[in-house]
Amino acid sequence: MTTGTTTADQKMTATLPPVPWAHLGWVTLRQRRGAIIGVSALLGLIAAYLVVMAIIQNNAYAAVTACHPAAAVKCRQLAQAFSADYWGGDSSALQSGGAQTVSSLMFAVPVLLGAFVGAPLISRELETGTFRFAWTQGAGRTRWAVSTLVLPALLLTAVTGAFTALFYWYFRPFLADGQVSEFLPLAFGLLGVVFAAWTLFAYALAAFTGTLFRRTIPAMAVTLIVYIVLAIATATSIRPHYATPMVESGWDHPAGSGWGISSWIDAPDGQRLRPGAVYSLVPARVQNSQSPDAFTNWLTSHGYTLWQSWQPDSRFWQFQLTEGGWLLVVSALLIGGAVAVIRRRGA
Amino acid sequence: MNVIESTALGKRYRRKWALRDCTLDIPGGHIVALVGPNGAGKTTLLTMAVGLTRPTEGSVTVLGGMPAGAPDALDGIAFVAQDAPLYRNLPVTDMLRVARKLNRRWDQCRADDRLDRLGIPLRQKVGELSGGQKAQLALTIALARRPGLLVLDEPLAALDPVARDDFMASVAEAARDDDISVVLSSHVLAELERVATYLIVLTRGQVQVAGSVKELLASHGAGLEEIALRHLRAGTPTTSGRDTPR
Repeated sequence: MTTGTTTADQKMTATLPPVPWAHLGWVTLRQRRGAIIGVSALLGLIAAYLVVMAIIQNNAYAAVTACHPAAAVKCRQLAQAFSADYWGGDSSALQSGGAQTVSSLMFAVPVLLGAFVGAPLISRELETGTFRFAWTQGAGRTRWAVSTLVLPALLLTAVTGAFTALFYWYFRPFLADGQVSEFLPLAFGLLGVVFAAWTLFAYALAAFTGTLFRRTIPAMAVTLIVYIVLAIATATSIRPHYATPMVESGWDHPAGSGWGISSWIDAPDGQRLRPGAVYSLVPARVQNSQSPDAFTNWLTSHGYTLWQSWQPDSRFWQFQLTEGGWLLVVSALLIGGAVAVIRRRGA
Repeated sequence: MNVIESTALGKRYRRKWALRDCTLDIPGGHIVALVGPNGAGKTTLLTMAVGLTRPTEGSVTVLGGMPAGAPDALDGIAFVAQDAPLYRNLPVTDMLRVARKLNRRWDQCRADDRLDRLGIPLRQKVGELSGGQKAQLALTIALARRPGLLVLDEPLAALDPVARDDFMASVAEAARDDDISVVLSSHVLAELERVATYLIVLTRGQVQVAGSVKELLASHGAGLEEIALRHLRAGTPTTSGRDTPR
């Protein structure tokens, strides 16, 4: 019955290797079974919808490209109908009803996934008291924390990264059509690497706040707020500065597509006009003219210059990797911070 | 060998001291009853000994001098916290697997045998077990780790009288069969009397009395409960610090 004295047992354990990561990984996956099912269900539903729509859209677009000659009225009408039906009208993105609406809604997916998976990881252990079990096992709490926090992060990043392929398929007609730049905020967040990167960030933020607050619901709420603020700030104020924008004068949109950052008008003396000031300069007669070019022609002939700054499409991957990179660094810091808090935390 | 040894140990939560200036030795080879009123610092002392909490001041070592919370200390101590926290959503078998995968030492036969004898259904979810079954499952997991020291914090608080009796019988049997030291805390002494071989009475972090039950009974000429009660009432230390009878 007796296994020997305690000291003999300790000598035995001293030579034992640490608990293997595979064992800890099994525990983590078993604990996350509910989250795995939930994430699979949500992404499965979205994927089913995207696949059906992608097939319909790609077929409809095939009819547009098959139309010859492309300049014919019939073909232009077909292309316009395709755009109106599937991309959506000119009203706000959420109300357009087409792919604009769908891709707008997709912006909620990373933060929903991240908060749902990340927030309960540590906070549930602290809420229910099971940390007193988990942190006193032979594996030790540091290894446990690393496995608990890193494995779901890897899985979530991999799954959402693969999910981006579906978005590419779904967006293909619009991107090929040239009416949508993959650089537009609407598309940029779903393509390349940033869809996965934002999901990872939301996850890491939720896991960190959950560890810090010891409560799941407040962690989810704070994650949601911080995420929305940062996502909007990034699209409007941070992303345009990853590289100095190209600047060009002229009234035509430069180089076709790309991501327009801003435009302004310089007066003949080189002074920049205040936004809106131009409407008090141009005579009402010209403004009300039926000719679409009357307005710009008047300005040009009176010595005004329009300047436009934009990010060309060729910088798409540079921007993707810049944004993915800093999100990855911030996420790693948050996860590392959560591990550090767990290591220091008292019961 | 002392299984738990603390020197001027103190723990402060925000402004309030949960334990202060606690110096005590808990000898091995006993079933030690750590008795004291609510708020005496029993749980705080034990959570520091098992490495869950870091002391604010002083130090605590376990199993003959290992720092609390060190890897070998984690291997050597099985801790069952109050209310036996386990994963309620897992079936019993998966709960066992989780514990097995989280430990370097694990005796599956021992666990299977015990659960079989106790008649705990393996497919049942932990959250659906009775209080007594859950406590026994937690004890089973703790024993399957083959610890040198078993620490139980208020193991009886949530149990009905029959379950208390069964649980203490299991602890006594395990201590005898596995040759392990046991430290258990309680604010009720009646259930411990039959199995405890060593008594420590703690009030406000101060040791009021410490000694082997046999010697205490002989020198005080009273029942264990009465001895404890007398010291809890008086609140004045009779033995303090390291003059534990050895």
